[in-house]
Amino acid sequence: MNKMILSRLAAGLFAGASLLASTAAFAGEVTVWCWDPNFNVAIMKEAAARYTAKHPDTTFNIVDFAKADVEQKLQTGLSSGTTDALPDIVLIEDYGAQKYLQSFPGAFAELSSKIDFSGFAPYKVELMTLDGAVYGMPFDSGVTGLYYRKDYLEQAGFKPADMQDLTWDRFIEIGKDVEAKTGKKMLGLDINDAGFIRILMQSAGGWYFDKDGNLSIADNPALKAALETTQKILQANIYKPSAGWTEWVNAFTSGDVATVTTGVWITGTVKAQADQSGKWGIAPIPKLNVEGAGHASNLGGSSWYVTAGSAEKDEAIDFLNEVYAKDVDFYQKILADRGAVGSLLAARTGAAYSEADAFFGGEKVWQSFSDWLAKVPAVNYGVFTNEVDTAVTAHLPSLGQGANIDEVLKAIDSQAQGQIQ
Amino acid sequence: MAAGKTGGLKRYHDLNGWLFIAPSVLLIAIFLVYPIFRSLYLSFFSGKGMMMKFAGFGNVVRLWNDPVFIQALINTVTFFVVQVPIMILLALMLASVLNNEKLKFIGFFRTAIFLPCVASLVAYSVLFKSMFSVDGVVNQALMTIGLIGSPIGWLTEPFWAKVLVILAITWRWTGYNMIFYLAALQNIDKSIYEAAKIDGVPAWARFVYITIPMLKPVILFTTIISTIGTIQLFDEVYNLTEGKGGPANSTITLSLYIYNLTFRFMPSFGYAATISYVIVIMVALLSFLQFYAARDRS
Repeated sequence: MNKMILSRLAAGLFAGASLLASTAAFAGEVTVWCWDPNFNVAIMKEAAARYTAKHPDTTFNIVDFAKADVEQKLQTGLSSGTTDALPDIVLIEDYGAQKYLQSFPGAFAELSSKIDFSGFAPYKVELMTLDGAVYGMPFDSGVTGLYYRKDYLEQAGFKPADMQDLTWDRFIEIGKDVEAKTGKKMLGLDINDAGFIRILMQSAGGWYFDKDGNLSIADNPALKAALETTQKILQANIYKPSAGWTEWVNAFTSGDVATVTTGVWITGTVKAQADQSGKWGIAPIPKLNVEGAGHASNLGGSSWYVTAGSAEKDEAIDFLNEVYAKDVDFYQKILADRGAVGSLLAARTGAAYSEADAFFGGEKVWQSFSDWLAKVPAVNYGVFTNEVDTAVTAHLPSLGQGANIDEVLKAIDSQAQGQIQ
Repeated sequence: MAAGKTGGLKRYHDLNGWLFIAPSVLLIAIFLVYPIFRSLYLSFFSGKGMMMKFAGFGNVVRLWNDPVFIQALINTVTFFVVQVPIMILLALMLASVLNNEKLKFIGFFRTAIFLPCVASLVAYSVLFKSMFSVDGVVNQALMTIGLIGSPIGWLTEPFWAKVLVILAITWRWTGYNMIFYLAALQNIDKSIYEAAKIDGVPAWARFVYITIPMLKPVILFTTIISTIGTIQLFDEVYNLTEGKGGPANSTITLSLYIYNLTFRFMPSFGYAATISYVIVIMVALLSFLQFYAARDRS
């Protein structure tokens, strides 16, 4: 620790000395916190390599730890008010962005004057805007898709064409057939994670909050339809229960389930199973039986934020601006290598987006995701998504036991009311 | 003259004494006394993150209307009401069995039972999690010997999740308590047992009427320590449920809820401080009750 401080001090002194010599050159170490070694960590390393190629004096320290730890460490650092414990750049999931911006005003650097945000997907810019100022650098999108095992479905008598434009009711029927003929469950479901509910809800243009950020539970048709569908899946018993993320991922990497409905960022994990190459297909997610429902939704997605107290603030902003806001080629590379669908609109016209993927049997998967992305309904994530999520998961097990949906909604509403004050 | 001189000497001794303890007093004041009062002060504020304003007893009112807090309170009470007696009894029995000199491999058994409590909390929680997963070792073993027909959702069904947490903490802490009893058993005069044997007192009666009363101070001590530990239960639940206290909040404890309110949710420091005082009051009340119940009636 002391060593780190010393080296930082030394770096600071050198930076000061070199400032005297030339005012334009940066020579600091930019520390970045992010969480997925196969995804955003690897991508950040790629971005850092591109920047250091042009600015050899800048070094990067990319720290990789679990997402929950990043969030909690960030929250602790911000609460304590000691900024030297914080990184220069931190990755924040979009659901939590407003929470940090509103509860720790002044903690993040305002970027609107330094970066041109008109080139990014508007919904991404919106969620990092507070009182007209933009505080982050939009990164990946979590546009959702239905990943399915072609081999299992074929065994059960379904062709890829049968998987297009499904409704959830049809999905459940197929699931029953799949289990009868192959013995495999249709999907993995973590009863402690409301992610699945959020996908369904957003596909019908709903969220836990209305456009003004007020809690909207009891009278929310999208959430109601999402819960009804989840109840049907639980009661049809076409799912494999999993406790926690690792087990959930393991359910499809091990070949125990036939489909996965989640954000595009899972592509890297799916493709990591090289022996399953050619066995996977992609379709739009099934549709809810409610007005305004569609086949496009979003799960997760995150953005980069620069801490306001950082000593290398300007350097960090310059780095983000140069790579993430301008380098179209960079977006092709991270899409091809990591399956990252960025939110810089100009990147969509690049070559990688129209390429066919052999792992998915030669389908042009990126083109599909790119099309679906344009259709994702914009919703207001508000500041209390975590709290309401907890309220929802608390009532998921009762769904399986046949609880009345309206009563469940009421119970979720009352728990959420208690949490958000 | 003389009085003045001794007064000076006294002041000299007083000053020296204070100087000696000053460093530790200072540390205790900064790291113990100040946080205690600061959190009491905090509990009168509410708001988002650093944007706090005075709320009076608003947080206490919020406690009453918060179903998650009530659930966490019920869970915490359930855990110590069920778990502490089971563990104390188990530890007592193990201690008296392992106190028997005639038993073979006694050192091995003592070590084996004590070993869980030096295991890393996180490591054993992760291990438990994989052992008790739907297609984990435990379910497979139970199904093989025919005890259950279909796998138990240890981590996905509310009731079994509670059972698993109780199993986990019992596994870890029984040996720890047993060591206290073993030590105390060495101090009981053997002649008491001899006298009882000569008088024809059966083994179970020797245990109930001699061992337990002689161990009373230690039993009281371990009960209080275990109760406090269980009221503050956090690590096991956090690691077994990925910090969520699920399924359906069935394993959320007060400490886990405090953690979530501070670090996972929109930071609500005032409310979290209020709940931490609920724990303080609970611990104080229960310790008092236990002392009262076990007082000497002479």
